[in-house]
Amino acid sequence: MVSAFGSTCSSDYQIRIIDSFAYLGFKGDIDLKNPEVTFGVLEDYGLDSVPPLEPFMIYFGRLIASGNRDLIQTFNLKKRKYIGNTSMDAELSLIMANQALAVPGKLIYDPFVGTGSFLFTCAQFGSFTMGSDIDGRQIRGQTDRSVKSNVEQYHLQGKVLDTLVFDICHHPWRDNLWFDAIVTDPPYGVRAGAKTLGRKNPTKRPLTIDGTHEGKDYYPPTKPYEMSEVLSDLLEFAARFLVLGGRLVYWLPTLVDEYSSSDLPEHSSMRLVSNSEQNFGQWSRRLVTMEKFKDNIIGERTNIHNVRGVDNLSSVYKKNDVNSNEAETTNTKEKKKPGHYLFREKYFSSKSDKKQIWTRNKDQNRDDDTDNTT
Amino acid sequence: MRLVTHNMLQCHVKGCNSNNFPLQLSDVEIEIQETDFNPKFLRNMLSKLEWNALVKTALEINITTLPNVLPNDLDEEFLKMLHRVLLETHIKQGQMICPNCNHTYPIKDGIPNMLLSETET
Repeated sequence: MVSAFGSTCSSDYQIRIIDSFAYLGFKGDIDLKNPEVTFGVLEDYGLDSVPPLEPFMIYFGRLIASGNRDLIQTFNLKKRKYIGNTSMDAELSLIMANQALAVPGKLIYDPFVGTGSFLFTCAQFGSFTMGSDIDGRQIRGQTDRSVKSNVEQYHLQGKVLDTLVFDICHHPWRDNLWFDAIVTDPPYGVRAGAKTLGRKNPTKRPLTIDGTHEGKDYYPPTKPYEMSEVLSDLLEFAARFLVLGGRLVYWLPTLVDEYSSSDLPEHSSMRLVSNSEQNFGQWSRRLVTMEKFKDNIIGERTNIHNVRGVDNLSSVYKKNDVNSNEAETTNTKEKKKPGHYLFREKYFSSKSDKKQIWTRNKDQNRDDDTDNTT
Repeated sequence: MRLVTHNMLQCHVKGCNSNNFPLQLSDVEIEIQETDFNPKFLRNMLSKLEWNALVKTALEINITTLPNVLPNDLDEEFLKMLHRVLLETHIKQGQMICPNCNHTYPIKDGIPNMLLSETET
């Protein structure tokens, strides 16, 4: 069997490769449709758009297992019945499920569930999933297009347990180590403005004529939710509700010029597993995977500005981050704000950014995984 | 909403910190949807759920199959019965009422609305 990835190869060429192994003298029948044993030839032409004439290396081996790349097509957003403007790309959603170690029997939660992307991919690998969102309209969708219809489309009714409407800042979970992983795309405030319960101007009071919330369409006032605050709350939540060894997998948006490895929020119960960048030019987002490695002691707050105690993080970054400016930030009196601080304001104020429309351009995916646990 | 989820929730109105669980079910519409049996998940969840609260809630919706005390021996027959109660029983419509402060959380099309008004947070 000869097939190509990111390229094509003619049937003549395929037959020539197969014939070149004639000297092995295999006696069995050849069945290309349902083979008992499959041998593969891998020719590596590198990543350049203009490949060299000869491959760098040729590998030969017996096929022992196949990957799950076809799931990228299964979960393709173009084929998904219900999506929103923040639905996560299928491949990235699947990667996040892998980072979260989604396997049968686990319980995985998304506190900013939106249209539910991670509920489906984590459930696909056998985990049970739950999600919540402050905006119930996203979960409900329209009559025949909703998180529920997607669950049905992927036949995951038994795995996607429930979706609930509430603000993660004021959540109703009983205290327990409920979740094996938390997989989420926190609101950036770019396409979907982050909201939390409250009023922008606290001096304004509610009208007292109809001051009841019992009305069916009551929607409480919300105020903007600053990105760094979202992250601080998210880490605190993860440390409190994850099982020991449980993982938190989330996206951190950041401005490329201002990013420093010390921007990553920390918690005394959580350690970094990996931090991978997807670059969009002047800004990028980072897929951050953390692991709860220590019991959480209530009262130990997240170190959101993260100017001290970067020990384990900095050792990872000193190798990779040439422009690291940790040294300067450590002793300055005025704490440096992280590169995602006021991200929304910076994103919209930058003039040149007007052309930079969010694209799901896979060519721009850059993976600088810094896995320090394996 | 499934009963497994219900057991994880409590009233979170500001200052409502005791006797705020389990939320009492009222005016409910129930639907049974069969799903695959996963004993490992059930055993895992059982160690975290509040059994007494589950029995009480089940009785509110006329499920009488649960014993008052969780047996030591969790055989397959027991787990399958539990699977039916925890994972196959859906509350499609209704309300959850806090036994302490009487706050009412509506459930619509299987989705509980746990949002609080600004005076409650």
